[in-house]
Formats: sequence, C-alpha cells, structure tokens
Amino acid sequence: MHRAPRRSLRLPKFALALPSWGYYVAFFLVPVVLIIFYSFGTKIPGSAGRTEFSPLTLDRYRDAIKPTFFVVLQQTMRISITGTLLCLIIGFPVAYFMAIRIPARWRGIFLGVLIIPFWTNFLIRTIAWRIVLSPVGFLSNWLQDIGMRDSNIQVLNTKAAVQLGVVYNYLPLMIFPLFVTLDRLEPALREASKDLGASRLKTFLQVTLPLCAPGVIAGLLLVFIPLSGDYITAAVLGGADGNMSGALVASQFLQAQNQALGSAIAVMLMGSILLVIAIVAIISFAFKAVLHRMRKVDIPGTRGDDLAVATNG
Amino acid sequence: MTKILIPQVTAERLKAQLNRRHFLALSGATAAAAFLAACGDDEKKPGTTGSTMGGKVDKNINLFTWADYDDEELLNSWGGLTIDIYGSNEEAIQKLAAAKGSSGYDVVVPTGVFIPQMVSEDLLQKLDLSKIPNFKNLDVAYTNQAWDQGNQYSVCKDWGSTGFMYDNRVITTPIVTWADFLAACEGPASGQVSVLDTPGNLCGLYFWANGIDWTTEDPAHLDAAEDYLVNTLAKHIKAFDSYPGVTLVEGNYVLSQAWNGDARMGYIAHEGAGGDPADYSWALGGPVTELWMDNWAIVKGAPNPDGAHDFINFILDQDNSVKDLEFHGYNTGMADIASLLPDDLPYADMIFFEDAQVATMHAGAVNSAQDRLVEIYNNTKAAAGA
Repeated sequence: MHRAPRRSLRLPKFALALPSWGYYVAFFLVPVVLIIFYSFGTKIPGSAGRTEFSPLTLDRYRDAIKPTFFVVLQQTMRISITGTLLCLIIGFPVAYFMAIRIPARWRGIFLGVLIIPFWTNFLIRTIAWRIVLSPVGFLSNWLQDIGMRDSNIQVLNTKAAVQLGVVYNYLPLMIFPLFVTLDRLEPALREASKDLGASRLKTFLQVTLPLCAPGVIAGLLLVFIPLSGDYITAAVLGGADGNMSGALVASQFLQAQNQALGSAIAVMLMGSILLVIAIVAIISFAFKAVLHRMRKVDIPGTRGDDLAVATNG
Repeated sequence: MTKILIPQVTAERLKAQLNRRHFLALSGATAAAAFLAACGDDEKKPGTTGSTMGGKVDKNINLFTWADYDDEELLNSWGGLTIDIYGSNEEAIQKLAAAKGSSGYDVVVPTGVFIPQMVSEDLLQKLDLSKIPNFKNLDVAYTNQAWDQGNQYSVCKDWGSTGFMYDNRVITTPIVTWADFLAACEGPASGQVSVLDTPGNLCGLYFWANGIDWTTEDPAHLDAAEDYLVNTLAKHIKAFDSYPGVTLVEGNYVLSQAWNGDARMGYIAHEGAGGDPADYSWALGGPVTELWMDNWAIVKGAPNPDGAHDFINFILDQDNSVKDLEFHGYNTGMADIASLLPDDLPYADMIFFEDAQVATMHAGAVNSAQDRLVEIYNNTKAAAGA
C-alpha cells in the first residue's frame, strides 16, 4: 500500500531511450524525409534553387536515370569496395597485433598513435598527401636520388591516389571495431582450441575469425557507407579521375541549384549503397549456411549439435 | 600456458582497460579544449573604433568570398574580418538563398552577370554610396555596368579574363587560339591538361574555339558542345581545377586553362622556387575569350551593414586597392591606376591588357541554358573519370 505512489512516479523504461530517439529523429529521420520529399519536387526555373511541390512528380528520377549516373556509380563502387576490402586486409592484422600480441600496458600508446591523426582536420590530412605525392615533392625526389625511378612520380590526380587517400582516411574506422571485438575475445577459447589439437592457422580460421564476425561487419559498414558518399578525398587527390557520386549530388545543389534533382540522385545513391549491403549480407548468409552444413558432425548420444556452434558457445 | 592463468589475464585486461579509458578521456578532453579555444578565437575580435566617417563603426564583419582573393594583412589593418570561402557563384547564391537572410555574412563578392538573379531573389541590399566616398576613385569604365546600372547593389572589386598557361618544354609549338588549345589537348598535352572547374568556362572552351557566342541558348549548339566535350576532350583531361597556376609549375600539368591572376601566381611561385619563367608561356585565348568582373556587394540581412560600407570604402582607397591588386594580380579598376603602381610590379602585362585585347573579351550570361551547362559539365566529368 505504501509503495504504490512511489511506483507511479517511476518513468517508463523507454524514457531512458528518449534522448537517443530524439537525436535520431532530429539528425537522421528529418533530413532523410526532407531529401526524399524534395526529390519529388521541381526547380522553379530561373530561381536560386527554390523548389515547388505541386504537383509532386517522379520526373526527377527520370532525369537522374541517365548513363552518366551509372558510369559514375560504377566508378564510385569500384573505389569504395576496393577501399573497404583493403581497409579490412590492412586493418585486421593491425587490430590483431594490438589486441592480442602486444602487452596490455602498450595498448594505450598504440591506440593513441591511431587516434592522434584525428586531431587534424580530415581535409588537411588529405591535402597533405598532395605534397607527398607531388611529382616534384620530396618522395619523388628521394625515389630518384636512390635510383628507384628515372623520372618524376605521376601518382597525383589518378585513381591510385584516390584509393590510397580513402584507405588512409578510413582505416582507423576499420581498426577500432576490430580491436574491440578481438580485445574482448577470451584467451581461454584460443587455448582450448590449441589444447584440443588445432594448429595455429586452424585456431585462427575456426575460432578467432568467426568470433570476430560482428567486429568485421561493423568495420565493413563503418568504412563502406561513408566512403561511398565521400567525394572530398576524390576531389582533392583524384583530379578528373576522382569523380564520385557524391560530386554529382554536390554539383546539383551547388552548381545547378537544383535541389530536387540533387535529392533524387542522393536517394538513388542511398538505394545503391543499401543494395550492395543487402547483396553482401545475402552472400555471407548463404556462405555461412553452406559452412554450417559442411561442418556438421553428428556425435552419437547427443542431439547432433555441430562443432562450430559448440566452439562458439 | 595453463588454465590457471585466468585470474592474471583478467587482471591484465582490467589494467589495460583502465589505461585505455584514461587515455581516451584525455585525448577527448584535449580535442574538446582545442575546439573551445578555436571557438574562443572568433570572439576575440578588435572592438569598435573610430571610422573615417566621424561616427563609431563596428569593425567586425563576415566576408563571404573566393579562395586566395584577399590580402589578410590588408584586411586586418581595417578591423576584424571572418572569411568564408566559396568555389563558384552558384554555390554562394545557393547558400545565401537557403539561409533566407540569416546567413550572417555581411559582404559577398559575386561576378557581375550573377547580380540580376541575386537582386531578383532578394539576396542583396542596396548600397548607400554616400557611405562609400572612395567610389569616386574607380575608373568610370568599370562603374555603371549593364548588370547593375547606377551601382545600386555592387561596386567593382576587380576584373580579369581567361587564357591558358603551358610548359613549353613539352608543347613546342606556340598556342594562340582556343582551337590551338584544344588541338594541344588532343596532342602533346593529352592526359596532362587541367580545365577550369566551372560549367561556363568548360563549355566556353568549345564555343570560343568554334566562333559561337558563349551565352548561346540554342539547343543545337549546346548539344554539339556536349558531344565534343564528352566524347573527344574528356579523355585528355587530367583535372578540373580552378586554381591551376601553382599546381602547373609544380609539374602536375603541362597545359592549364586559367584566369590571368592565378596564372601569374604560378609564374611567381615558379620563379620563387628558382625556376626559369621562360619554361612557361601564357596567352589570353583567341579569337575571343571571357571577361568577368567580381564585385563587392552587401548581403540582405547583413548583421553589420555600416561596417560593410566602411570596409568597402576602405578597400576602394587608392593605396589599399593597389595592395589588394599586388596580392591577387587582377586589375582593381582604379582610375589612372598605372601611376599608382610600383615600377617593379612583376608580370604587369598579365594584369593590364591592351585595348585590342580587351575588345576580344566578352561577359558570360546567366540564362535558360544554365541547367544544361551543368548537365554537360557533369557528363564531361563522368566521361573524364571513366
């Protein structure tokens, strides 16, 4: 009887989630809905980017579905998929090394070394590469001095420079989630695998790697999504070769002052990114299912749980 | 190596986590402090000082302008300016229009042909020329322009033209006309060319080379320009670069379409690095090329219109205008400017043109072809990156 009033003062459980819901609504939902709404509008001819919405129309999508969009999208996806995979290939050993091989007391320093570049502005870090890659820069001169090259390097304003730039800019976003998962991995599990007779490689492939899957997925998404929309790195380092979809959106907003068409292209770009993620997700689910079936071992007297699940559990 | 290690491992992990948390907190705090310090700098502007006009004028304004366009030392000698940069007129207009008078900018520097659109969109406020007595210092040739008769909204900052600069160690036959320029792009300069990163200048290349008025709205001309730029020129382009001068002399391009002041900066940088100016050639494109004039204007809803007027008056002072000119290398349109300049002004012939040259220059236009020009520009960029 005495407790009843106190209970009624309690906020419902979801109240704690309100700030984050508020954040998502204000900074994610509202902008996305606005962009989708604008994509059904029409630019008022001659105006500085004013858009009219009567009637709502699909014409902007018709304007956007042109060979140019698909050419640029293809270039973008080539850069972003290659970049994401390179980040994984380079980032995994680094994260593994930091989380497992390095004594705990050194980890702070290694993490710090990874974080320090973030103190400098993204754009400035990218522009700095222009100095390194310049045909008459110190790298070029040095390579010629030691006799590795006869002429100036020609890397700036090529796709190779863009690829280098995006891997450099997004690599930490891959390393951090991988580090966190690897760091949380119980060393006992690897020891158990070893005790049960698995080689180092087998332990890595069948214990460590499957347990890191959440970190790998988080890293892939964290790198792939912003990289696909990034056009700054490409514009700074790639010259004419660095045309990415983000630049198409920007030029509609800033050059053509056509917010409706820019929004339609942005929606299509978002759709393309989601499509790629969906395809990768389906392939990896299928792969996992096949693996599951192949590895299935029936142990007499049990329900027949497969080994992979047993190790995971 | 045995199972009994677990407590020790746990202890180690705990220690590591504490260290890590400590470090993250520290780095976060440092970053936040740096950010706050940077914000604080904005507040530290010089206070109100007496003006030339007798009264007190708040000398803090926000200037929205092009990159590398103003001598900061000169600006700081007037008062406290915060500078923001835009890359094209369209971008500036888009940002001002989206803010609907709340952009917080006081002064903007649009190119003349864009001013009518800005006026009709209500983005500029009328100037009070009585607060800009130094307006009289301008050569009458650069006042009262077609796009703003009576200088109601704008006064000349400077004007210039478009040409090209090339490395004549690679391109050995002189380039004179835009047709020569395009031939060189397809020939010795292929893959080492930069063009200006604006729709008008890119399409202008084709129109100037083929004797077509570059303000054309004729769909057939626009289609022909697109066909040439996308299918022929694009594959030879290395970069779309509005400020190629210094990048060119650093060896990144061998041929660049450039504005005269930017090409001049390239020469100065090359000489500064111990290079021989004879390595490069500069020419205004023939038979016709661009004429542009950038103008000081006051943004509608400017927080400090009095300060903005005072600043424009300051910059139109003869001595200040010369300093401005020496920095960016464009003619600031002062009356009798030749007598004001130092004798040793480098590359003066890239700033001042002869009458015969000026006669070949034509202003662009903002018209119904604008969206089509952007489409051609996007398609050319896509083809160049393929």
